Amino acid sequence: MSLQRLLIAMVAAVLLALGAAACGGDDDDDGGADAGETTTKESGTPASGGDKGPVTIVASVPPTDHGWLGAISKNAEEAADQYDDVDFRLLEAADSDSQAQQIEQVISDKPDALVVLPQDGEALTPVAQKAENAGIPVINVDRLFSAPDAATATILGDNYQIGVSAADYIGEELNCEGKVVEIQGLAGISVTEERSKGFTEELKKVCPDGGVEIVARQPGDFNPDTGLKVMENILQAQDQIDAVYTHDDDMAQGVVQAIRNAGREDEMFLTGVGGSEDAMAQIEEGGLYRATFLYNPSMAASAVNMARLIALGEGFEELVPPEVPRQVVVPAATVTKENVGDYQEYAFN
Amino acid sequence: MTAVESETPAAAPEGTGAQRRFGGFALQEYALVIVVVLLFVVGAILKPDSFPTWDNVRNMLTQASVVGVLAMGMTFVIATSGIDLSVGSVLAAAGMFGGILVDPEGSTLVFVLGAVGFATLLGTVNAISISYGRVVPFIATLAMFSIARGIALLLNDKLPVSLLDLNGGSFGDPAVFSLLWFGTGRILGIPISVFVFLGITAGAWLLLNRTRYGRFVVAVGGNRQAAKIAGVPVRRTIFTVYVLMGVLVGIAAVLLCARLGSASPVSGNLYELDAIGAVVIGGTSLAGGRASIVGTFLGVLTFALIFSLMTQLDLSTEVQQVVKGAIVLGAVLLQRPEARL
Repeated sequence: MSLQRLLIAMVAAVLLALGAAACGGDDDDDGGADAGETTTKESGTPASGGDKGPVTIVASVPPTDHGWLGAISKNAEEAADQYDDVDFRLLEAADSDSQAQQIEQVISDKPDALVVLPQDGEALTPVAQKAENAGIPVINVDRLFSAPDAATATILGDNYQIGVSAADYIGEELNCEGKVVEIQGLAGISVTEERSKGFTEELKKVCPDGGVEIVARQPGDFNPDTGLKVMENILQAQDQIDAVYTHDDDMAQGVVQAIRNAGREDEMFLTGVGGSEDAMAQIEEGGLYRATFLYNPSMAASAVNMARLIALGEGFEELVPPEVPRQVVVPAATVTKENVGDYQEYAFN
Repeated sequence: MTAVESETPAAAPEGTGAQRRFGGFALQEYALVIVVVLLFVVGAILKPDSFPTWDNVRNMLTQASVVGVLAMGMTFVIATSGIDLSVGSVLAAAGMFGGILVDPEGSTLVFVLGAVGFATLLGTVNAISISYGRVVPFIATLAMFSIARGIALLLNDKLPVSLLDLNGGSFGDPAVFSLLWFGTGRILGIPISVFVFLGITAGAWLLLNRTRYGRFVVAVGGNRQAAKIAGVPVRRTIFTVYVLMGVLVGIAAVLLCARLGSASPVSGNLYELDAIGAVVIGGTSLAGGRASIVGTFLGVLTFALIFSLMTQLDLSTEVQQVVKGAIVLGAVLLQRPEARL
């Protein structure tokens, strides 16, 4: 009996291994993020292996299972790879709890700086304060801690401004006349609410006489297949749509496909958020995808640079005296066909 | 098969006890028909220009086809008193596997074989661990839920794969048997994916109600010991339902990727809940031993109607959640076996 079970377990393992091998498994470090456990990732190059590197930087991020978050970790690693004097480690955590535990452990290793994109800013504030108290400077990325003494420096995007830029662009393109659909992100999180609020409020300012009507406003969960389904239904309900404001470039690909499947790509235009390679390529091509508003994951690269400067006791040369600012807000630039060439090198995929 | 009948009346579609049950079944199915008709009428009243149109019906059926195909397989799984929580993750992994096979070059056939083959492989892993490894289905497929999502993310370094090249990059009129054709192509005005869904529904009905295998499935779920004594090959039956589930997940993956024009590692999120929900409101017992393909079909339609109606009415998310939950609860109350009209 037990022999039989062993046999079955082995068969199952072989099948799985075959599956994994068939995947071309060149990358074996991050698939387990869903398993409810934490995973560790070392930046690969031997150059950053420590003997030359006087500063140690640890970055802690949520599971990178979405295009934007994936780009966050890639950008951070690439930035660290540029320096011979940086010893970098990236940690992924499945949820707030394990992220807090992870940072607790990191504190005892005494790195020279800690970069944190918290799963939930509120929940991770105490452990960030603890790191600060232990003399480890914390660089807070994107989602804010709830206390000012939890971070030495902060770099974040501006979700409200994204909505504002989108309203400016769409209002102008439509000459304040037309029907707009908003495909939102995940309902009930601040990113979505801010992007939506900025859009609605600015639209009233740009087009004070009305004229632009938001005919549908539905969440697409930052997910292309949800975006596809939601847009399919909206296309059924609305026989005239002039513009679509989507909250995310990845999700927008599903929305684009729904519009194309319906053969209505000449009727309307669409905007995204983020700055992905796909989106920029389509903007350059012209047509349906008209603009995106940068919410650039390269802010993670900037965060690593800031962490290094703080750890080395240096600062931004342009500031007098050179120091690292307390807070950096990344502008939500509008990328259109006219200027897409300037931004393509910063596109993520 | 007479032995099965005498040992497990629940499993037998004939006999006096079974006749009553069959009558009860029919009643439940009528109850769901009422729910479906009611939802359609409400839609027609609230959105007279856009809801009761052939175009919208076609849209709803197309949307229903992905979860619909999953729900057919799930009916067999649940009939054996099993469960499969991994279908959404396996769907994403299958699409990604097919996707990397044809990236940058390949054919629709390679994509379809790759996706269906990989989903079948993962389904077989579930099947082995549940039937021969004796792992509880909930745990085995929960593990696969995590494994398959991880594989989906690993396959292309978390990135989606564009499949538009499989259609020659053109839109509007996809070539016959190109990938996009499966998503948006039509024959006699009916989308291919709807044909696939209806075909699989018909096949599932025949398999469950007109074959010995179908009786085995219900017998295993009704009373495993009795089924074993009666000579039903219990393990083999359980094994095959999870393999069948894998094949159907692969087909669902093809239908979704065809419509999306790409394979995405985050797709299929929580599809298992929609599939299980459709099966259960369709009258199949979570305890096993009782299954209805027609009920599942109506359950799938109910979900599609609710989703379409609420997005078209542009209800806010929070209202949608409350309304959806209320309709599901109402539908279940209306069609539970004890309910008699």
